[in-house]
Amino acid sequence: MKVTRRGIIAGIVVGLLFVVLLAVPLFASHVNLAVSIWTDVLSFAIAAMAVNLLIGYTGVLPFGNAAFFGLGAYGAGLTIQYWHVGFFGSIALGVVASIAGGLLIGPFLLRRRGIYFALLMIAFGQIFFFIADRFTDITGGEDGMTFTRPAIEWSKTVISDTHLYLGMLLLFAVVALVFWMLVRSPFGRSLVAIKENETRARYLGMNTDRFIFVALLISAAIEGLAGACYTLSIMNADPSRLDFHESGNIVMMTILGGSGTILGPFIGSLIFVIAQDVLSSALPWWQIPFGAVFVICVLFFPKGILGTILDVFEKRRGGFGYEARDTLHGTVISEREIQP
Amino acid sequence: MSEVLFSGENIVKHFGGVRAVEDVSLSVNAGSIQAIIGPNGAGKSTLFNALSGFYKCDSGNVTFKGIDITSAPIHQRIAMGMGRTFQTSSVFPNLTVWDNLLIGLQSAANLAFRFRPVGSAQRKTMEEKIERLIDFVNLKASAHRPVAELAHGSQRLCEIAMSLSTDPVLVMLDEPMAGLAHAETERVVEVIRKLHSELGLTVLFVEHNMRVVLSLAQRIMVLDRGKVLAEGTPVEISANEAVRDAYIGKEVVEHV
Repeated sequence: MKVTRRGIIAGIVVGLLFVVLLAVPLFASHVNLAVSIWTDVLSFAIAAMAVNLLIGYTGVLPFGNAAFFGLGAYGAGLTIQYWHVGFFGSIALGVVASIAGGLLIGPFLLRRRGIYFALLMIAFGQIFFFIADRFTDITGGEDGMTFTRPAIEWSKTVISDTHLYLGMLLLFAVVALVFWMLVRSPFGRSLVAIKENETRARYLGMNTDRFIFVALLISAAIEGLAGACYTLSIMNADPSRLDFHESGNIVMMTILGGSGTILGPFIGSLIFVIAQDVLSSALPWWQIPFGAVFVICVLFFPKGILGTILDVFEKRRGGFGYEARDTLHGTVISEREIQP
Repeated sequence: MSEVLFSGENIVKHFGGVRAVEDVSLSVNAGSIQAIIGPNGAGKSTLFNALSGFYKCDSGNVTFKGIDITSAPIHQRIAMGMGRTFQTSSVFPNLTVWDNLLIGLQSAANLAFRFRPVGSAQRKTMEEKIERLIDFVNLKASAHRPVAELAHGSQRLCEIAMSLSTDPVLVMLDEPMAGLAHAETERVVEVIRKLHSELGLTVLFVEHNMRVVLSLAQRIMVLDRGKVLAEGTPVEISANEAVRDAYIGKEVVEHV
């Protein structure tokens, strides 16, 4: 693989970002944002990354994606409550619950594309929402359930908020790296091809249903992981985690930050979660200006914050930057040097 | 007589009350180059889509290499050696010509589902093949530009190269000249001729441009209102009274 100058710049930017995030526990109290808020940022960043795999790289619209987030959260919460599972066990079972959800609804979703896929997925998500909402005896109904963070299986210690944050940061870095490798793999290319033109992908011999199904399961697993970690951070699971409002929020983070880019969803989640925390205490109607910002963003910067920034960089270099752009976007399709 | 590579028997396709294709049979011999013509709304594209698996036939059978593929999914047809293009070029518009071909090649090499990077030996083979395909359709100058930025003719050539990337034996072209400027037509005609003469592929195409059809095709089938009006060599078709009346203008025929 050829190392380009822009690849190095991108590496430095990502490295700096990581150092800043590593230092969050040191300055969190000074900026009046608890460490747990930053854990939320990372949880939703991972969830938005999962959504981005479908929106930005496969071209399907997962408008009911919170089903996976919530299944991860309830999978962890219920197993802690009833089976007294430990810290890592509950996360693993949350992911299993989410993948099971994907296996259950995937075959139905695959029969439709476009807006019908999106609507069908919302409908399935709402089924999970109502199950959590109505089975009060088991799930705590509308109020959800509250539990204490379980101890780590082998050391019997309960992780503090700060350590949980650092663990989340590590997890986020690993997920981002795996995601980057995934979208650069032949499989990732195939997904981009499906997004670009599914009919053509079929006529190149791809069984596109199979690809979309696997992408959906990967997305479900990642989002379930995010949901399980989130629930362990706030020590509560309630039906709103499964609701389509939550789906909408996560889709919004993805698009605001830049779908089809590796770190765009993180930027979206950073802005969204922090704005929510800061504004909701200052302005009870904070969602109105925030909605307006989102509308402006979608109308004028459809590629999102990171996508727009990358485009500007490319224009200044006068084109022929496909390879470099793709390095940053993550969709390096071919690794050839481009001769102007 | 060479053997039949591809055939459709009694193909029927209706859309609601519209009888788009009504009991049409055709057979394509291995190594031949054959055209389907007909006035607008004759059912050419519908027939083509039914034969290539884009639509489900209401009744009838499609046979390829002696195997019944009537209900085979598209990816199986491609694996058996079918390739096709569309009336409006069906490509990956935001990807470069190079990447468009790479996606076809990785699919043909059964690498499309791979999560790890492709090994260097295999990548080299693929890169060589991409270069050969780009040379074949003469798109070297635009190899690293997104297809959406190219002229229609170049997009069409890219699409033809893509349909070749899966190593087909039968190439189906749906109105390859649709929407092309005159100069571009010549380039595409040359490439189609080479498909047959250089690569020895079997070609079945739908076309409106009579000059192109008469100069390329060995056999022609004329459709009118969903039915076969006539079938034969270009000379026979140009001489056919019914075809003249239904479709071909006299001036064109006199050109041959």
